[in-house]
Amino acid sequence: MADVTQETRQQQNGKIETSHHPETDSQRKDKYYYGIPPIKRAHWTWQIPIYFWIGGISAGVQLFTTLANVLGHKDEALTRIGRYTALVTMILSPILLIWDLGRPERFYNMMRIWKLRSPMSNQSWALVVYGNLAGLIAARQAAEDGLLGRGLLPRLVARLVPARFLSVLALPVALFVGSNTGTLLSATSVPIWARNWMLMGPTFLASGVSTALSYLSLVLHLGHWGEKKTHHVLRRAERATLLIEAGLIAASLVRMSRWSKPLFSREIAPLFVGGTLLGGIAAPLALLSGKETRGKSMFTSTLVLLGGLALRFAMVQAGRKSADDPEAYFTFARGENAPQPEDKI
Amino acid sequence: MATGFLTDTTVCIGCKACEVACKQWNQIPADGYELTGDSYDNTKQLSGTTWRHVAFIENPKKQRKLTGDVDLLALAEDVHQTLPGGAELDGLGRWTFMSDVCKHCVEAACQQACPTGAIIRNEFDNVYIQPDVCNGCGYCVPACPYGVITQVPEDGRVFKCTLCYDRQRDGLEPACAKACPTNSIMFGDVEELKQVAAERVATLHAKGYENAYIYGTPEIGGTGGINGDHSKFILMDEPETYNLPAHPFLPQAKVKGGFVASAVAATVLGAVVALAFRD
Ligand code: SF4
Ligand code: SF4
Repeated sequence: MADVTQETRQQQNGKIETSHHPETDSQRKDKYYYGIPPIKRAHWTWQIPIYFWIGGISAGVQLFTTLANVLGHKDEALTRIGRYTALVTMILSPILLIWDLGRPERFYNMMRIWKLRSPMSNQSWALVVYGNLAGLIAARQAAEDGLLGRGLLPRLVARLVPARFLSVLALPVALFVGSNTGTLLSATSVPIWARNWMLMGPTFLASGVSTALSYLSLVLHLGHWGEKKTHHVLRRAERATLLIEAGLIAASLVRMSRWSKPLFSREIAPLFVGGTLLGGIAAPLALLSGKETRGKSMFTSTLVLLGGLALRFAMVQAGRKSADDPEAYFTFARGENAPQPEDKI
Repeated sequence: MATGFLTDTTVCIGCKACEVACKQWNQIPADGYELTGDSYDNTKQLSGTTWRHVAFIENPKKQRKLTGDVDLLALAEDVHQTLPGGAELDGLGRWTFMSDVCKHCVEAACQQACPTGAIIRNEFDNVYIQPDVCNGCGYCVPACPYGVITQVPEDGRVFKCTLCYDRQRDGLEPACAKACPTNSIMFGDVEELKQVAAERVATLHAKGYENAYIYGTPEIGGTGGINGDHSKFILMDEPETYNLPAHPFLPQAKVKGGFVASAVAATVLGAVVALAFRD
């Protein structure tokens, strides 16, 4: 009898399964190390997506107004709005960015050094250059508009600041600011961003141009300004850029493949699918093909602007979700999924 | 000379002396009391206020019969042997512990990301954050492929293991390595540690622990342009079990590619907008 008890105890001793190992513990639902994210997400709050949106608009406005100028299309209202917009966006951008720093009073440390490998460093310097150029160009406009009074200085500014030349100079920097907001996200370990390293910049830039065209159209309509041709060109360009943007987003989703999941999650899908894809691209494209009226055009522009804002928020939030998901990172950092230095694509 | 760590997880006993020593020496604030229910791990992860973290994984019990003369001492040593009556003892099999720390990457993603130049390589070739320069932009945080560097919200700046820069300057070994009672944490010249690691893994293989391997080489753990880590580990399970990526990558490797792609896109968009001006 005693022998039997001992026997069972010995057998049980071998059979009791206690385990906290992810592969053998049937009770555990969290995968890997207790489901704790293996990478850390960025702390960035609402200021950053708003800055991405504003920066994109600034780049697109610079592109459109400079091209209008170079191609000899004369529209004073357009030029004026373009120049003042560049200045306002370049005042708002650093405010938003500095606001989001953990130590705002040390923002100037960004100017200690320039590192080509750091998209954040490149972005800071591009903002300094573009901001100063935008300031000079806007000063000339203000002097011409008589906003600076009638003193000697405004007259000198109006005469000496080569605004057209400076805007051509500012164009590549502005475009860099617009696209680098996307590249900046992709140069991280976050799967959904890093996987799409090639198309993040282009997608953000395309969205920047489409929102900028809508912005220009909206402001011109609001003030009853602008030549007829300007409105016509804006409409045509808007249709084309929205198509390019849609194509780039589609290609991005293909490239992100399984790691694009956060964009379609319950929290982000309304923003991304509803706000960007349907509200910000599909609906405006449909509205742009019909007859043109002022009210309809303004409505379309608003939709595109909100769609662009939704895209920035969706991308930043999807990055958080992606970083918080151990499954996403570990599948990404296994084998050939992660970008390797020698890959071309 | 480049210095670094070799953390041999096979002799770790999960005492958390390293966690405590690190907090004490570096005067890092406490994280509060939290009961996670995740085995004995209530620390959870590395953070701006936790620079060493001991992971606890409980392995399933092996089928074993304890009859005859059981050598209990063998349980505590790295012995893998068949005992009388078919009883099997596996000294390393019951627990998996790992004391995690900053990898001090050879090509460090955090350092490349940092726009202020706060993150530098010091004279010991360790990755060091200059606390008087960091402005808390937070860009290094999602860049780190191992989730090490983290912002401390109350402070605004980011913090991580300094490899006890101050102690090294005084010729002392880092606090965690000093406190480790089993020498699981070794500190020294990276090249020498590489050799120590290779010998230890060979010994483990000879004893029948064929799954032992080095994590943090350009083949595993220090991959994708990172070129290896100055703090390496000897592991016995899949990297993911310890919350480590198998093939991480250097995110900045694609910055140039992203720039070129964006330049092409800018040109195309410019051309399309210019075409819209045609009558
Ligand atoms: S492990 Fe992370 S924090 Fe440590 S050096 Fe590498 S990238 Fe930097
Ligand atoms: S948070 Fe500090 S250390 Fe990190 S990238 Fe920004 S400035 Fe550099």
